[in-house]
Parts: sequence; structure tokens; C-alpha cells
Amino acid sequence: MRHGLILWREDELSTADVKARQARLQQAIAAAGLDGLLIYTNHVRSAGVTWVSGFTPYWSDGLVLVLREGAPIFLTALSKRVGEWVKSVAPTFEVAYSPFPGKLAGERLAMVGAKRLGVVELDRMPGGVVDEILSVLPVELSDATDLFAKVRGQADHAELKLVRHTDDLAREAFKAGDVKSRYAGDFTGPVERAVRLAGAEECYVAVAPDLAKDRRFIRTGKAELGRIFAVRLSVAYNGVWVRRIETFSSVSEIAGRLASVSAELDRVAPTLPADGSISAFYLPEGAGLVDWHLEAPFGTRPLKVVADAETSLGAPVPYGILTTAFSLDGEIIIASRPVGLGDNVLREAAE
Amino acid sequence: MIGEIRKKRLIEAMVDAGLDGLVLYGNAWQNDYLRYAADFGILEGEGLAVVTRDGDVTLYLDDELEGERASLECPEVKTVVARDLIGTVSGVIGRLGNSRIAAGPKRHLPYGIAARRGDLRFEDATALIDRLLMVKTADELAAIRGAARLADEGYAVFRNAAAVGKKDYELIAEIESFFRNEGVDDNFMIIGVGGPEVRGMAPPLGKVLKPGDLVTTELTPCVNGYYVQICRTLVVGEPNEAQRKVFGIYNDALEAGLAVVRPGVTAADIARAENDIFRAHGLGDYVTSEYTRVRGHGLGLFPDTKPHILEDVNTVIEEGMSLIVHPNTYNPEIGYFVHGDSLIVRTDGPEILTKTPRRLFSVDAKRAAA
Repeated sequence: MRHGLILWREDELSTADVKARQARLQQAIAAAGLDGLLIYTNHVRSAGVTWVSGFTPYWSDGLVLVLREGAPIFLTALSKRVGEWVKSVAPTFEVAYSPFPGKLAGERLAMVGAKRLGVVELDRMPGGVVDEILSVLPVELSDATDLFAKVRGQADHAELKLVRHTDDLAREAFKAGDVKSRYAGDFTGPVERAVRLAGAEECYVAVAPDLAKDRRFIRTGKAELGRIFAVRLSVAYNGVWVRRIETFSSVSEIAGRLASVSAELDRVAPTLPADGSISAFYLPEGAGLVDWHLEAPFGTRPLKVVADAETSLGAPVPYGILTTAFSLDGEIIIASRPVGLGDNVLREAAE
Repeated sequence: MIGEIRKKRLIEAMVDAGLDGLVLYGNAWQNDYLRYAADFGILEGEGLAVVTRDGDVTLYLDDELEGERASLECPEVKTVVARDLIGTVSGVIGRLGNSRIAAGPKRHLPYGIAARRGDLRFEDATALIDRLLMVKTADELAAIRGAARLADEGYAVFRNAAAVGKKDYELIAEIESFFRNEGVDDNFMIIGVGGPEVRGMAPPLGKVLKPGDLVTTELTPCVNGYYVQICRTLVVGEPNEAQRKVFGIYNDALEAGLAVVRPGVTAADIARAENDIFRAHGLGDYVTSEYTRVRGHGLGLFPDTKPHILEDVNTVIEEGMSLIVHPNTYNPEIGYFVHGDSLIVRTDGPEILTKTPRRLFSVDAKRAAA
């Protein structure tokens, strides 16, 4: 479940911002000859519904039905009392309750005489929900993942501002960690606390405790930290997810070099394109690339690997998180930063 | 070890039911079915476990980062990272041919997997797995006892962190930080802050604690996959007369519910014992679904598992179940109030797990947030 602050903040993501997204999606629905679009949400597949409504489910699951006209409808099995909370934190859709939200979707579709329904990630939809819809209305279902990806892939000024804010929050939180900590938890506990005190909606922390031995990340507080270690912070703030990896060392000479690499990446990364191309890489002078991948919001996933050395980017993404592992002066360094946030992208998004 | 014990039980149940294979779905919220078979605490993305009656278990994950973590945190589990999760698992199931395969929870079996199997339908394994989840082995109960200690310690952290001027999410930050340091994988937690206007608990909304507020919470730490819950209410400042009186009613209801717990009674019997106390005080309206969801529930690999403690649930309580009894509901005089303890059902009655005193706690109204 989510553990942090969930609140409607008009100054960060306005009703007008969300309505504009809904209008763009409705245009695409009509252009595709669909009567509506269905997006599933649970708290790990929240991104589609969050983008179209500003709402992130804290637990449980639900559906958002977007018809060609009118406000989207959030269909949930949660109680009416919880529904009141949902309304208070997301004034951008109608909330409807039923123990069988799929049935309710079918009823709403029947009311508008729907014949063709697009479903984002149809294959991944819980089968029980599909059965419920079809038990009410024999509507033709088609996969609308590509349609949604095209609309969702356009950068959005409000979202990009939130990405920058969330990344700033993560960068500041890292300052709470003591590089001389013996155990991973001693470092990550204060960092996680700082993220949450800053009003994050969620925070996951993982550690590669000794980069000289292993580059893989685990979620344990008990691992002993090596000479060089990396920490991955995955932070959600007001519906936006950012990952940031920093590499640290308790050896002051190495720590100084790592700090300057980190600052250099902070300066350059936002302006890099989020397209997984070779031009998207910036490496410090003398560094050798070991591995990389690009994550981005895609479909219902808040962050998903969309490109790496073997796979090129298949569809445009609104922003990316570029993770690189590189060798420098005999040490392995891992870093993650948001990319695709340059001034030109912000300008285009604003327009 | 505990994963092996569960796997053995699962295979035995499959063989008894005449099943050749199982497909179990999981995500970070609904992870109990998946974790029962493949001992991994999934965090991002979704997973499917395919289990065959010869004891083979493979965990399929759609997230590369989670696959990496699984390889370190549960190396004994065969893990496959599949970007095309549905296509990959459908291929595996297709190779099982015309055999008896069941899915659980059936509702969550991805549509694409069901559709690709066509006329060869999946049977419903939900009840089979639910039974395994509800009645636990000695090792599982030992894990639950371990989690209970952290529920108590977590509530002490919560109580000590509560202060005038503190925001609800700041309180939660203290708890989460404490739990992570203690190796707690997850924590189900909701909160309420205020007075009669508060009708239930919710995620933190940025409310600021002030003198006179009731602060309600359900804390549910998860240790090695097993959840234990504690529900308590505290008052910012000295409790007033109404708050003291209402606490007495909820405490009587909790004790009445606990007194009934033993093998052979039903979930309805426990709920009725709790609700009768409210009815005796003229508060019968407030034990309905308008004001409350359940009067307790099962605990284990999911924070809100079966049986739900309600007057219309006739599940028979058995030795080895773990439950929370919590007569949480709205009170028109003082607002939403919570009070509950976790337990293990033993032959002679409940073994109460949470040791935090059943008191209406208060924090000094002069204690201000730093």
C-alpha cells in the first residue's frame, strides 16, 4: 500500500491540467471509433489512472471508464466511506461503488449504447473484471495500449515540474544519510524518513551494499556496507515517480570524486533526451559505460524499463529515468537521473 | 525453511484436489497467494507463480529490478523475468496440455492467459488456497508472533512521536523509518485525526494534531511476509468524560469478542458478541456497514485475509488461525474510534499476541512537535 501523504494540490497539478489530459484522451477515443476506454488500477499499476485523474489508489483496485464525453467514472469495490475520501483527494472524476465494478462499467456502457470498448493492457486486465463487463453487455473489446501510449507520451508541463520537484526532494533526502554507517539500514533509515517528512506519497529504498562484489540491489537494512555502495531511492510525490541512484564511499578521497560526478550528472541529465538514443548518454571524462537502461511511465506502470542495450524505445515517453553503470578510475559507479526535462521540453509542454 | 513447508502443504493440497497445475497471481498489495508458493515479497510490477504437482515452482516477474532483487533475496526460487509476462506464462501453461489447472485468486487471473487457453478453462483455486492461508502451521505461527513484537514497538514509536503541531504524515514517517530499520517489509497503516467529524480512517491528509483530537491508527507490520495488526486510539491532552466513557464501551466490546474466540465458534459469533455491547448502549446503528466495515479479520500473508468477522459470516474458527478482533466504528459523540488486538486461536482459546495495554492513551497537550 501507499504510506505517505495523498492530497489534492491545485497549485501543483490543477483541475485544468487534468481536464486537458482527459480532453486529449477523449479526442483520441473518438478518432479511433471507440465508445470508451477502460483503464485498470491497483497500487502497482496506478499510472494510467493517476495521469487521467490525479488519483492514486492507496490500496485495493478499481477502474476508470472514459467515455467520449463527460467526466471519467472511477468504479471501485471500496466502501462509500472510503469513496468520500477518494472524492476529497481527486475532484476530477465521478466515483461509483459496487462489489462488482466490472458490472457497473458494463451498466454505464449500456447506458450510452456502447459497442466498442478500448482497454489499456487488455491482456493484463483481471479476468474476473472482464467477465463482469461481458455479463452485462456483449461489447467488443480491443486493446488500446498503443492509443493510450501515444496520448500519454506527450510531455505535460505540470508533470515535468513535479518530476523536477520529486527529484529535488530525493537529492535533498540523500543528505540525511551518513556515509560512515556500518549497516545499510543506518544509512537508509534517515534518508527514507527525510523523504516522507517532505510529503512524499511513497518511498522504496534499495541498496547495493558493496559494489566491488555485486551491482545488484536488495531491500535489507542488515547488510554491511562496503568501501563503495549505491543506494536507490524510488520516490512518488503527487502521482509522479522518480528513481535516483547515488554511489557513496566512506573513503573521503573517493567520496569527493563521487560527489563531483554526482553534481555533474545533476547539471547535465535533465537536458538529455528521453529517447534511449546514444545522444542520451553523458558520462564523466574517462568513464567507460558498463550497462544502462531507460525507465519511463508506460501504460499502467509508474516506471517500466522501456529501452536498454538490447531493446530500443518503442513509443514516445513523457520523461525518462536513465540508469547507467560505468567504470571510472577503477571503481564501478551507478547513477540514475530523470532525463527529458530540458527547457525546450518544458516550453513545448507548456505550449 | 518456512517457504519449503508451505510449498509441501500446497503440493499436498493440489494432489488431494486432483490438480495438475496452479497459476497464482500476486502484486505488492495482494501478494498472499503468490508468496505462499514462491517466497518473494514483490514490490513493483506483477508476478505469477506456476506450480506443478511434481513440486516444481517457477516465479515469473515482469519487472527487471524485481527480478534482480529476487535473485538475491530468495535464490532458492526459480525466477524468470518476462517483459511479456502473459505470453511467457501462457506458453508454459500451453505445454501442460489438457491437464487440470486452477488459478488463484481466480478473479485476478489476467484475461490474456484465460483467453489464450480458450476452451480449456481454468478451475478456481481460490477456496483451496484460502484454507491454507487461514489455518497456519507452527512455523507460520512463530513468524506471526515475531511480527507481533514489532506491532507493539511500532505503536510505542507512534505514541512517542505524537505531538501538538505534528502532521499526520510526519507521524507515519517516524513509524516507517523505524520499521525499515527493524527489517519490516511492509506496513498497512491508516490514520484518523480529529473529533466527531472523523467518520473513518484514511491515508494521511496533512492534518495537524491539536489538543483534544483523537488520533486513531491501525498499524500492521509485515515481517518475513506475515502481518500482525494493532489498533489503538490516543487523545491529544487529557481525555474528556465522553472519550473515557466511549473507550469503556469499545474495551468491553473487544473483551467480549475475545472471550468468544475458540475452535468451533463461527466468525459471526465473535462479531455478535462485540456488537451486542454496542446494542446494549443504544449504539446498534453504528455496527452496520454505514459506519464500519468489519469487526475484525484474519491475518497472515495478507493484512486483511479471511475470515471477515461479521454477523453474516459463518466460517468456523479453527485452531491455528490468526485473527484480529477490533470493534472499530464511528461514535456520534466523539468520532471514529479504534481498539483491537491480534491473536492466535488455540484449543483453549485465544493467545493474545499484542501486548500494548488496552488503555485510552493520551499525550501531553504541551508536547509540541520539534
